[in-house]
Amino acid sequence: MKKTFLLLSFITATMLSFAQVKSTTSAVVGFDATTAIDNLPKAENKTVIGEIDTKTGAIGFEAVVKNFAFANPMIQEHFNGAKWMNSSAFPLFSFNGKITDLSKVNFGKNGTYTVPVSGDLTIKDITKKITTSAKIVVDGGTINATSAFSVKLSDYGISGVPVDAGKVAKEPKINVSASLK
Amino acid sequence: MPPPPSKKRNKSWWKKALLAGIILLAAGAGIYWYIATEKFADTKDRKAAFTVNALDFIHEFEHNNEAANQKYTGKIITVNGIVSETEAADTTMNIKFIDTASGSYAIFAFQEKHLAEAKTVRPGDSISIKGSFSAGVYSRLRKTTSISFQRCTLNK
Repeated sequence: MKKTFLLLSFITATMLSFAQVKSTTSAVVGFDATTAIDNLPKAENKTVIGEIDTKTGAIGFEAVVKNFAFANPMIQEHFNGAKWMNSSAFPLFSFNGKITDLSKVNFGKNGTYTVPVSGDLTIKDITKKITTSAKIVVDGGTINATSAFSVKLSDYGISGVPVDAGKVAKEPKINVSASLK
Repeated sequence: MPPPPSKKRNKSWWKKALLAGIILLAAGAGIYWYIATEKFADTKDRKAAFTVNALDFIHEFEHNNEAANQKYTGKIITVNGIVSETEAADTTMNIKFIDTASGSYAIFAFQEKHLAEAKTVRPGDSISIKGSFSAGVYSRLRKTTSISFQRCTLNK
């Protein structure tokens, strides 16, 4: 009985560590639209959903817009407002893409890999293609992934006086970091 | 010879206008400085608008997501329950209450000054947590409802 239990536990643990889809609900996405004249438009969302399919290289992320935490209450209100992200009408940012060259990474072997990533970023129901690279660190059953890219606010219909006046960057930097299990 | 009375009145009017302009400018700068440097208050010092049980709270969103979002948006809420999971986020931990029947969950990211508290919590702990409600949304990736909080702290 004890042996059977140990064997089943081992099989379960092995299956979990080699599961095809690795995921988290605590990926971190940073949004940095600071400029030389304003350091306020900067936020982090630490409850982003992320998934990687290690067999197909498919990647998915979902971030709740209202959970981007700014230090300043006024900027957070503007960010969520109708003229900016309109988070009441469009509650999610999403990314659906894939590792375009799976030969660059071996998910079965511990190590650090740099992979090309391409996919669709959707903000306010507007979808644009994003091409970037990601650093992947395979450590046992865990995949630590980081990536950085920038987005053009005008691509998503976001403009206004603060952008024109140089108080908000026209192309904010986006940083993604996730520990997927 | 003294200036005629009309010129004197004109000079005095300009002086008053200049002074009023300077005062207005100083007040405007003060208001801007206050707004620009304002930070969110410590959640520990804020009074919760609602106190809820974690599972009942999750069920409320599953039952009627729109109504629940309207009810709780922008509110500070105390949520009591048994921790289902802790999950590493960058250098800190998020705390989760999960409805095991549906997979829906409430997740809490901690306020900067209370990050250390999160690391003391373990799955199975019965806790009371206070945070600023962000939103409850249906996740297409996980096929469940995800309810997120920011600037959280533990109630002692």
